[in-house]
Amino acid sequence: MVESAPTSVRIAAVIYLVAIVAFVLGPLAVVVGVSFTAGDYITFPPQGLSLRWYEAVLSSSVYMGAAITSLKLAVVVTISATIIGASVATVIHRGRLPGTSVLSALFLAPLVLPTIIFALGLLIFWSAYFGRTSFAALWIGHTVIAVPYVIRTTLAVLSTSDRYLEEAARTMGAGPWKAILHVVVPQAMPGIAAGAFFAFNISFDEAIVSLFLRSPEVITLPIQIYTQLEYSPDPSIAAASALMIGLTVVLIFVIDRVLGIQRVAG
Amino acid sequence: MNKLRTDLLIAAPGFLLLMVGFLIPVAGILLLGVRDANGVLTATHLSRFLTDPFYLEIAWRTVKLSLIITALCIVAGFPLAYIMARGSARLRLWLIISITLPLMTSVVVRTFGWMVLLGRGGLIPDTLNMLGLVRRNYSLMQTETAVVLGMTQVLFPFMVLSILGVVMRIDIRLEEASRVMGCTFLKSLRLVVLPLAIPGVIAGSLLVFTLSASYFITPSLLGGARLPVLAGSIYETATRTLDWPFAAAQSIILVVGVLMLLIPYARLSRRANG
Repeated sequence: MVESAPTSVRIAAVIYLVAIVAFVLGPLAVVVGVSFTAGDYITFPPQGLSLRWYEAVLSSSVYMGAAITSLKLAVVVTISATIIGASVATVIHRGRLPGTSVLSALFLAPLVLPTIIFALGLLIFWSAYFGRTSFAALWIGHTVIAVPYVIRTTLAVLSTSDRYLEEAARTMGAGPWKAILHVVVPQAMPGIAAGAFFAFNISFDEAIVSLFLRSPEVITLPIQIYTQLEYSPDPSIAAASALMIGLTVVLIFVIDRVLGIQRVAG
Repeated sequence: MNKLRTDLLIAAPGFLLLMVGFLIPVAGILLLGVRDANGVLTATHLSRFLTDPFYLEIAWRTVKLSLIITALCIVAGFPLAYIMARGSARLRLWLIISITLPLMTSVVVRTFGWMVLLGRGGLIPDTLNMLGLVRRNYSLMQTETAVVLGMTQVLFPFMVLSILGVVMRIDIRLEEASRVMGCTFLKSLRLVVLPLAIPGVIAGSLLVFTLSASYFITPSLLGGARLPVLAGSIYETATRTLDWPFAAAQSIILVVGVLMLLIPYARLSRRANG
């Protein structure tokens, strides 16, 4: 056994780690810092401490309206993406349909194709057939983006599960649907659940599709922040952003508890 | 047969969504960009882009920034992936959480953080000013540096995670063997780990390059109107001038451009994989 790394390399590694973590988390920490300012302008370090900008956000009908739109959208997207993603993953995992590999590539394509192209396509398609964009257009757009994540997390769990359990259930007399409901779904549950939280996160934070399909009636929280950033930035943006960061932190820990973040990320 | 029908039924909602929500809109774009008002094939929109120096500059800037960002991600990402792979499970978990947090935060929120840090009176220009490197009231906003910094922060987790997946599978005994044979630590890193990690670096670069070429929110907020990139130009054309065929043509150029760079790279990765 040899010594793993010389001291000089170890010291350099520690400095590098600190720098990288500061680079990655710094901008988020700054946002949270600014949100507690007592002043009227966006400054970091903040001038004094207060919760006034949180009050401003929570009592603003514009922000709260956008937050409610985002929440509603995220909830319906989570439901549709989870059901569709888990079903497709089951079928891909079984691999009985002809051309399964092509199928899985197609279903994962929204991960690879630049979102902006898909968003523009959906805008043009929707305008041609349904007229003005609406909540339903965003629902479809976000679901398309979220489904691949549910497929991936579900497949990650299914690939380590015992595929003979379903056959056993069938032999014991369960119908195909019963076997899926009572055997396959419970087995895949950690993956499906993690996928659901991902879907929620993606829809809640998504800005590209939302920006293309926005209309005065459907403005999500990220779009509200974007608009405010472009025209009249004040610390209320920081407070709204800090609340979104808080929600993301909670979701990451939930996903880690449900499935283990390493399995999802790797 | 019955089994097949069950599978088809289960996947049916997925198929429907894929058709209506994805394939038809994307196909629609590709057609719109190469047809004129009467539906006849034409290259007018494409050649308008390819012959106008203004748009060519946009295309060049997009490629240049994406290349710089990809290179930075490799340089910053490889050591991190290595430390994560060889460090304790606990350290790995915390590092994964640290790099996933910005990835899962809304792009507008992350970009806002950079606007505060880089703008006039922000932490970074003020520090540079204190060091005597720049004048007072210097701002890094509306610069390519700002765009590169903001995009690297979000994209480098993709690089780290793809390299990590590969490095985790490298047998640690290979490194030990090279050390026993007289390699220094850094030499064994360069001669043993790096060559074996190449497939991860390639996969990560593909992802980072594609994503950085298609982002427009971060470049438009940090770079501003003076530094348009291709994706930003698509957005402007689609929503400000409402010239959808031209926006579609620019989308085609984006896809084709990315594919043209990706295909040789993917070949390379197949060769690296043996």
